[in-house]
Amino acid sequence: MNGTTTIAEFRHAVLDPAKRAHYRLAWLSTVDHKRIAVLYMLTGLVFFVIGGVEALFMRLQLAIPNNHFLAPDTFNQLFTMHGTTMIFLVVMPVVFGFANYVLPLQIGARDMAFPRLNAFGFWCVPFGGILLHFSVLAGGAPAVGWFSYAPLSETPYSSSPGVDYWAVALFVLGIGSISFAINTIATVISLRGPGMTMRRLPLFTWINFVNAFIIILALPVLNGALAMILIDRQLQGHFFLPIGGGSPVLWQHIFWAFGHPEVYIMALPAFAIVSEIIPVFSRKPIFGYEFVAASSVAIAVLSLGVWGHHMFTVGMGRPLDVFFAISSMLIAIPTGVKVLNWTATMLGGRIRFDVPMLCCIAFLIQFLVAGLTGISHASVALDWQTKNSYFLVAHFHFVAVGAIVFAVLGGLQYWFPKMSGRMLSERLGKWTFWLMVIGFNMTFVIQHFLGLLGMPRRVYTYPDLPHWGWMNLLSTTGVFFMSAAALILVWNLAASFFRGKVAGDNPWDAWTLEWATTSPPPHENFVALPPIRSRRPLWDIANPDRPDPIVGESSAAVTLPDHNKIGILSFILSEAGFFATLILAYLYFYAHPQPGPNARGLDVPRTLIFSVCLFASSFTFWRSEVGLMKQRRGSMLGWLALTILLGGIFLVGQVNEYWKLFQTGVDLSTNMFSTTFFTLTGFHGLHVLMGLVALLIFLWMAWEGDLVSARFGSAFKSLGYFWHFVDVVWIFVLFTVYLLPLLR
Amino acid sequence: MTTYQFFTTAWAWNSIVLILSALALIAYFFTFGRRGRPLYFAGAVGVFLLAFISPFSELANGYLFSAHMVQHILLVLIVPALFLLSLPQSFSLRSSLSYLSHPLVGWIAGVGAMWLWHAPTLCNAAATSRSISAIQTTSLLLMGSVFWWQVLAPREEQRLSPLAGIVYLFTACTACSVLGIILTFAPVSICPVYQHPVDRLGMLSTIRGQWGLTSDRDQQIGGLLMWVPMCAIYATAILAQLARWHSSAQPEQSNA
Repeated sequence: MNGTTTIAEFRHAVLDPAKRAHYRLAWLSTVDHKRIAVLYMLTGLVFFVIGGVEALFMRLQLAIPNNHFLAPDTFNQLFTMHGTTMIFLVVMPVVFGFANYVLPLQIGARDMAFPRLNAFGFWCVPFGGILLHFSVLAGGAPAVGWFSYAPLSETPYSSSPGVDYWAVALFVLGIGSISFAINTIATVISLRGPGMTMRRLPLFTWINFVNAFIIILALPVLNGALAMILIDRQLQGHFFLPIGGGSPVLWQHIFWAFGHPEVYIMALPAFAIVSEIIPVFSRKPIFGYEFVAASSVAIAVLSLGVWGHHMFTVGMGRPLDVFFAISSMLIAIPTGVKVLNWTATMLGGRIRFDVPMLCCIAFLIQFLVAGLTGISHASVALDWQTKNSYFLVAHFHFVAVGAIVFAVLGGLQYWFPKMSGRMLSERLGKWTFWLMVIGFNMTFVIQHFLGLLGMPRRVYTYPDLPHWGWMNLLSTTGVFFMSAAALILVWNLAASFFRGKVAGDNPWDAWTLEWATTSPPPHENFVALPPIRSRRPLWDIANPDRPDPIVGESSAAVTLPDHNKIGILSFILSEAGFFATLILAYLYFYAHPQPGPNARGLDVPRTLIFSVCLFASSFTFWRSEVGLMKQRRGSMLGWLALTILLGGIFLVGQVNEYWKLFQTGVDLSTNMFSTTFFTLTGFHGLHVLMGLVALLIFLWMAWEGDLVSARFGSAFKSLGYFWHFVDVVWIFVLFTVYLLPLLR
Repeated sequence: MTTYQFFTTAWAWNSIVLILSALALIAYFFTFGRRGRPLYFAGAVGVFLLAFISPFSELANGYLFSAHMVQHILLVLIVPALFLLSLPQSFSLRSSLSYLSHPLVGWIAGVGAMWLWHAPTLCNAAATSRSISAIQTTSLLLMGSVFWWQVLAPREEQRLSPLAGIVYLFTACTACSVLGIILTFAPVSICPVYQHPVDRLGMLSTIRGQWGLTSDRDQQIGGLLMWVPMCAIYATAILAQLARWHSSAQPEQSNA
């Protein structure tokens, strides 16, 4: 009935440019996950061109020895911007775009759990990107590397505002990434279609689901570090400046505690794409689904505890080196399991060598090389020799380009038909692929040898030593092949979008749910879902005589958890990571006392009294919730007002404490204690303030409207979780800052 | 004393631990007979003995913080896990103890066992006083058992669901890693006893010189042990949960 007609109309409207006109503005205000996904990817493409041009300039400078094409400072700015752009503005938006498009379709959902949050997460990307690039106009881009090591990134050594823009931009991008991750988790847990149990999730969805957890655990750590460096630069704090008692090594620890998981945040979605394409183009189900799924979890868990291998050259001492070397080597196991699964899937399959599969095969080979050079860096002695050479540059470009970019190219070719309704040209796709293979390997294979010959990285030019000249020239030549590949890709995308072959619903004969709907899917994604009994529902429909074995129990009538609850709990998890970073930094400096004000000078009894108010507000909030549940309006409003009052008293107490400290001349810049004290309690205070604003909004809503709607109740409960969390954080802050000195 | 002499002579064969272990074995066979899985129980007793009569115990007993940490991990994570695995399916907690089977209690017990006994005062006291050390051992075994109950209880319905189990284990792993990180980077001694050991066996020069374990390094290794290998144990348990999840409710195993 009308379902089919609307879809036909819809498809007609999308494919006919004249009828697409009214969509133009709608793209800016959209909350549809499919459009947001496309926006993510287009933004990524724009920045890919920018980051690529930056790389091109660097390679031109390095093409011949003793070159003066670029000034040293310009070169530094370029490699900082290239790294930051490619990681935060290209790879992350693009892989988020894939997940955003495909994941809800694969689980039979109509949209992501929080469509507006989704739009917010996306708009953080262009906003962050513009902020970062605005630094060019505001006195020079940052020239400190994407890792922004202190103390180089501190004001005395980088006085232009480049680093400030860098830090703020990354903060914004981090918030966007976290909101995307929260959304992913809530979507997968709460919005699965009937029959789509967690054990039947397609691997693409499962791996992106696991990845979302790494994001909400790792990105807040970066945000903590960024907050500290901004405090150092803007408010004269001392976190990472040795002259004020700060520790540049601490920056490295915090940065790499984020930075290593970040590698997997970029790589796991690539694994996800490959795990989807290889089975389809080998005409076999994936070999060892459980192993691919479980090894992703193992990678996620291990990735959080191995950052030290980025710091072997810092001089952490032998015990740390040894432990980090062992734990880093362990990651090779789950990664190796995955490679084995992918190759075993191809074994004995009827392989179709279309572009997506070609990309995956190149991915497999190049990722293997990347993995082998990666393991070599887990060996401390070898790492000392190669860490700061081009060997490392070659290694991580094999991961970032050889593995991730190739997987993305394959994914584009694979899902573009679903997104646009038209196929990408196979012929142009093969041109892109082969030019990319040649260009990429020409550029980066030789860099391994350059590194082993001793060429250091992060240098703007080099002397004319034996072999260095031709090796670098060869490396630069490869860039032109890659540039040609990129140009053909852009041309292919544009031309195929308007004139490509019409795709049909399922051009690849694939088995997951996104292919069960039209290409492009209607706004609501599905008219009706097919029955889901296994991991390949479309195979079961196409082959009713030999369906896949049923996976797990069919839980048709389960109610999935409330997405508000899952969302706020994920948010709380990320906030916990943020505060854990701040508290650990506080403790780190607490252990190295300095002259001047310290924790013993704080007024503990006064703080305890105000703390009791905060803790009591958790109780009153609970009473208010009970009032809401029993539909007693007066009781609910009264307890809620009391909650706000108690929270307000706590804040007043804190402001008063700050004021007294200011009066005695203690502010953030006084010494290490004051820096850490104001940072930790200040961020907690901000969270209390944020909670109070939310409580006030709810008070107003409850005052004005009716309390009956289930949505209000669920949202109110979620706010409750946040409010209790803020109180729990205060327990930890109270103990570390105020009570710990009393125990000494 | 040289290293060789130490590892050949420092076995505490005459300790009360042996008697206790024998009693435990007898009690196990009288209670469960053939219904249990005695191999696991023997394993538990074996690891327990290893922790207390081997030279490791001498090192943990005032010489090395890192050896103490190994003992700690064995007592909280390994012995209780093997013990729970040895229980027969028919085993249930007495109803008066049912509060111990709440996940939050289990989590706090497991994480508390790590944090509590590394408060400097308690850590020092346990390393110097025999009776407090006995209390520590008992509490570690008990708390470890309560922690593992959520994951390794004898019957499926007594355990957390696999995905909840992963959350349970991962958060516990994180909480212990944080302690490990603090111990690793703390510039002050967490357990000052180990800074200037009483050299009962004449081993100190070998440890400090030949083994190269200064007190700073020793504490660092202790912290790293809690941080990395212990998390590897939790990570293994997480993978076991995934395996259990993927194998659950498949036709041939649905009633196992």
